Amino acid sequence: MRDDRIRYFAKNMDRLSRRDRVFLNNPVIMQGLGLAPVVIPATTLGNAFILAVGVALLLTPTRMIATFIGQRTGSFLARAVTYALTAGVVYIGVGYIIDYLFGTGALAVGIYLPLLVLEPLIIKRYESPKRERLITSFKKGVITTIGFCLVLFLMAGLRELLALGTLGGIEILRVSLLPMASMPAGGFILLGLVASLWRGLVNTFKKNISLGVKNLQ
Amino acid sequence: MSLVMQNLGTFMVYALAAMFVQNAVFTRGFGVSRLTKLVADSAVDSMTFCALLSLINVLCAPMSYFVNQFLLQPAFWYRNYVRPLAFTVCALIAFAAVFLVIALLNLPNKKDLLAVLPLATLNCAVLGPMLITANQNYNFAQTMGFALGSGLGYAFAVIIVTEGQRKMNSRSVPAVFRGLPINLIYIGILALAIYSLTGHRVAI
Repeated sequence: MRDDRIRYFAKNMDRLSRRDRVFLNNPVIMQGLGLAPVVIPATTLGNAFILAVGVALLLTPTRMIATFIGQRTGSFLARAVTYALTAGVVYIGVGYIIDYLFGTGALAVGIYLPLLVLEPLIIKRYESPKRERLITSFKKGVITTIGFCLVLFLMAGLRELLALGTLGGIEILRVSLLPMASMPAGGFILLGLVASLWRGLVNTFKKNISLGVKNLQ
Repeated sequence: MSLVMQNLGTFMVYALAAMFVQNAVFTRGFGVSRLTKLVADSAVDSMTFCALLSLINVLCAPMSYFVNQFLLQPAFWYRNYVRPLAFTVCALIAFAAVFLVIALLNLPNKKDLLAVLPLATLNCAVLGPMLITANQNYNFAQTMGFALGSGLGYAFAVIIVTEGQRKMNSRSVPAVFRGLPINLIYIGILALAIYSLTGHRVAI
């Protein structure tokens, strides 16, 4: 890594660790948000795509509208009610669009699509008393969606390959290596293993940065 | 009399099924994000949280049943889109009722209860059972039994995972596995045990 990049990461590591929602502070791996959709219905890339569209359409608009209304309602309880009701109202449109795009295919994710309305990934922001600007809520909504979708597709691809031997419906393996991967138990265990690997990579990255800074001095 | 006994039997069977063989956490992953935070957070009393969640579940169940039966009839093409909002409103009504009771009773730990109440209400472990009972057209006794069982099942899951924490925080667990990863693997193993009990995959 170039010296200026090492200096940049070393100087901003705390800020990046808080704000980066893709690698260093992924919502699923680091914060434990959105676990249910990743662990239960994301058994194929097709299911993951439906869930990803649902989250993309629900997360950012909910966050933006609730932020806009929340600027007028300050208390914790009012914020909680605002976020939950906003997600419910936004879901009316999301449900309609998902039905239009996928038809009966959306049944594959079952109740996990409407369940997104009270998923901490979508509404957890109400717990924070810190106010944010509308543009910040848009940026954070988009980056959180990207971070979530990354893990969602990774897990769905892994589970489909191990359980069915296919990727996106295309046969890759002739044998089913781990049929349990398509079950909730397999989803939990695989996500635990992926999370430990991911966290190990984050720790290694942080160690390398601090080591690089020492070498530069 | 026999009708009462029959409904009571149905209620008990559905409550037990929701608590063990169709446990909200182990078979459906409802509220698992909150659970992993709850067992690691000593500031929030797990049992208070679970008691409030069970209470909200039981209060929501009759409301969601009647909303689904009378306001969201199959003839309405938009029922599936409106259902999450309608059930969230039911949860918020239950929330308001519990809030008022806690505020009026002036309990010594009132402040703690009111701080935990929104977390216990706006939870997938509350919305999930309502969606299942509506999708599967449960009758009133089945709905009530499933709601109570789901709340108690969540408490059962929290107790088991909290008990496991002592072992999971041990130094023999590699550093990268500590925290969320080992919790997920542990929940996965428990889910496998539930699977061996039911012997089938729960329909989503």
